[in-house]
Amino acid sequence: MSTLSLPVVEHRRHAGLPPAVTSHMSGGRDQWSPPLKEAPADRVQGTWDLLQEVLDPEIPISLPELGLIYGVEFDDGIARIELTFTATACPCMEFIREDITDRLESEHWIDSIELIEVWSPPWTSERITPEGRAKLKKLGVSA
Amino acid sequence: MSESLDISTLEGARREALIRLIITLADSKRILGIRYSDWALGAPSIETGVSTSSMTQDEWGHARLLYAMLKKLGIDPEPVEHDRPGEEFASIAALDHEQPDWAGLVALMTLADGAVSSVLRSFSTGTLELAQNRVPKMLAEEEFHESLGSAWYRRLAATDGEARQLLTSATEAMLPGLLAWVGADDDAARHMVDAGVIGPASERLTAFRDHVRDFVALVGVDIDSVEASAEWDEVRGRTPGRPDEEACQRARGDLNRALLVE
Repeated sequence: MSTLSLPVVEHRRHAGLPPAVTSHMSGGRDQWSPPLKEAPADRVQGTWDLLQEVLDPEIPISLPELGLIYGVEFDDGIARIELTFTATACPCMEFIREDITDRLESEHWIDSIELIEVWSPPWTSERITPEGRAKLKKLGVSA
Repeated sequence: MSESLDISTLEGARREALIRLIITLADSKRILGIRYSDWALGAPSIETGVSTSSMTQDEWGHARLLYAMLKKLGIDPEPVEHDRPGEEFASIAALDHEQPDWAGLVALMTLADGAVSSVLRSFSTGTLELAQNRVPKMLAEEEFHESLGSAWYRRLAATDGEARQLLTSATEAMLPGLLAWVGADDDAARHMVDAGVIGPASERLTAFRDHVRDFVALVGVDIDSVEASAEWDEVRGRTPGRPDEEACQRARGDLNRALLVE
C-alpha cells in the first residue's frame, strides 16, 4: 500500500473526515510554501499572497489569477474571503473551499476563515488576469 | 435596478408569497435538470447528449442557489430539498413527466426553460437583492440552453415529417400551462408585484410571448391566440398536478440519502 504525504490540518471543519486527512490532493498543495514564521505586516496582502498559492482544481492557475476571489478582509484574526465560481454548479466548489481553508488554516496568524460566496458580478472569462491568461496560453488553453 | 426590499420586514401573506415564488422557481429548476438528464444517453448525437448533461448540471446549480434564498427567510432549505412529498412540489406542469421523444425535449428547452427564464429575468430586476445578485449568473448560463434549444427547434420545425408533428404537439400541449404560470395573477403573485419583487403579470406575459412568438410560428402556432390554462393551484403557484414519483425521488435524492455528507 502506498503512503500519501498529506499536510496536517488541525482545524478541519468538514464532517466525516479525520483531522489529518484531506479528501483530495488538489489546489497545488504539493507546492504550497511552509507556514510563515512571522505574521505579515499587511495581513490582507499576506492573505492574498497565500491565495496565490491555491490553484484551481482543474487548471493549474491560482484562484486569484482565475478571477474567483472578489475580495479579502482581515479583522481580528478572521480572514474573510469573498469568492465566486465559474459556474453555479461548479463540481469543484467543495474542493476549492477546502483548499482555501486548508492553506489559510495552516498559518498561525489566521484564527479563522470565513468564505463568502458571491455571484455578482457574474464570473466570465474576462476576469482571468493577464498573468493567468499567459499561463493558460503556455498550457495550450485559450481564454 | 429597483430599490432593494428589506426581506426582514416581510410578514404574513407577502412573506408566504415570496416563499411560494422561490420554491416554484427552485423546484422547476430541479425537475428541469432531471428532464434534461433523462436524455443524456438518448439524444440524437453524442454532442447533444453531452449538452443535456451540462444543462442538467446548470439547472441543479440554479436550484441550489434558489433554495438557498430561503435561508434569508429563516427557513432551512434542506428539508425543502430532501424531505417533501411529491404533491408539495411546485415545479411547472410541463415537467411533470419525462418527454417521450426528442421533439418534446426540444419544446421543453425552448418553451419551458424559456418560461422559467422569463420569470427569473423579471425577478432579477425586482427589489429582492438576493435575486439581483444571483439570478444574472443563472441567466448568463441559460443563454447556452436557449442557443441549443432554438437551433433544434428550428431544425425540427423545418422538417415535414413526424419530427415536426411531434414538435407541434408538444408545443401545443405545453403552452397553456406555461402561460398560466408565467402570467400568474392570483393574490400571492400580486403581493410580489406590489412589493416590486417581480413585474406585473401583463409584463411577464408579454416578455414570454415575445420570446417564443417566432419559434412557435414555425409550427403554425400563433402565441397570441393561445389561452392560458384556467385551472390553478394557489397553494403551490402552478397548474394542478405533480411530478411523477420517480422524478420526486431523484429530486429528493432518496437513493443517495445514506451518502449525504454535508
